Amino acid sequence: MHLVQEGDPRAFELLYDRHGGASFALAYRMVGDRVTAEDISQEAFLSIWRSRTRYQAERGSVRTWVLGIVHHRAIDALRRNLVHERRRSSAEGIEERHEAPERERTDVEAGRREDARHVRSALGELPEAQSRVIELAYFGGFSHSQIADMLEMPIGTVKGRMRLGLEKLRQGLAEKIA
Amino acid sequence: MSVERHDIHAEDPAPYVLGALTESEVRRFESHVAACAVCRDEVERLRPTADALPRSVEPVSPPASLKQALMAVVEDDVRTRDGASETVAAKRPGALARMRKRLSGGGRPALAWASACCALFVGVLAGGYAATQLPAAEERGGRTVAAKIDEARLPSGSGSLVVPASMRDGGVLRVHGLPALDSDSVYQVWVRRGGEMISQSLFSVGQNGEGAAAVTDDLEDADAVLITREDIGGAKAPSENPVLTVPL
Repeated sequence: MHLVQEGDPRAFELLYDRHGGASFALAYRMVGDRVTAEDISQEAFLSIWRSRTRYQAERGSVRTWVLGIVHHRAIDALRRNLVHERRRSSAEGIEERHEAPERERTDVEAGRREDARHVRSALGELPEAQSRVIELAYFGGFSHSQIADMLEMPIGTVKGRMRLGLEKLRQGLAEKIA
Repeated sequence: MSVERHDIHAEDPAPYVLGALTESEVRRFESHVAACAVCRDEVERLRPTADALPRSVEPVSPPASLKQALMAVVEDDVRTRDGASETVAAKRPGALARMRKRLSGGGRPALAWASACCALFVGVLAGGYAATQLPAAEERGGRTVAAKIDEARLPSGSGSLVVPASMRDGGVLRVHGLPALDSDSVYQVWVRRGGEMISQSLFSVGQNGEGAAAVTDDLEDADAVLITREDIGGAKAPSENPVLTVPL
């Protein structure tokens, strides 16, 4: 990352190689469209390249920083383009976007798959009411008020379910990783 | 600025870390968090869990063209690091990625003529150079169709569409003398077919008013190629009458 921050394009290429797949996957999961996901990924990585000096290691891993930027870009795209009309984070839609990657398996990838399994398992153990608001918010890009309208419940209830869901997920992840 | 009471924001940390607050709510909450240790601690406690959510997503292989287009812009940035103007590629990375993919043959049979001029064409987009070096379409069995300009709105403009021998492979639209738009606007290219308007690409022009854009659709049964001026990001449908029309 030090070389990336110094503006070395080869180091940046390596950064893309390491995190581009996860970034594209996150964008694709959120918008459900490969072309839009491609745009989001590219905009995000250009933003990362141009704001590379802002990365602070003490605030988290490079991967978290990169995916955070992709997440924000995807939310912007969703809210700007009203993609929500054509998708509602249905279970079917989410499954459709889980494509099997055609890449060589490495130890790193195997580790990430195991990690992904833990996170999905922890998410799956949440009460449906809590996992739904979390998925709609994080992967759907919906605001709390939109979710409240969609689910016909008070905003306070939505926020409360988000908090309870995150809290339970935090505990679940701690148990699985321990 | 006065700090809002904690009870107003007590339930905001969770939607904040999930990205579920609106922009104005984020500003208000962040202003509050700066002075509220309780909320700050709650955000720090919940954030790692929200950050773990993307790890649940199965990887999906991005197209190779994404990396190629990204690195082309990065290399261009490196070359122009010391003062050159921002490039069109930087402003329209997604559109550029798609143009590159289409022009290099991704998703359809490669065009011999387009491949031959692809590097030059991308150079036009990325560097803002004049689009005058493309090989003559006629030399490769294609043709060049002159555009009709709305002279009331673009008195100095002109343009032409270069199409290969097979119109099924789209074409390249070149323009001259178009005014540079403000930073919130962009030129958008459309194909009109049977009353339907199909968006093709977005582009900007350089200081010299010259630019080029890819037309990626099958043109065999198209009525015309058109350009409108739209808000940045492009529109789903034209918001104005075309400023330039290439009848087919």
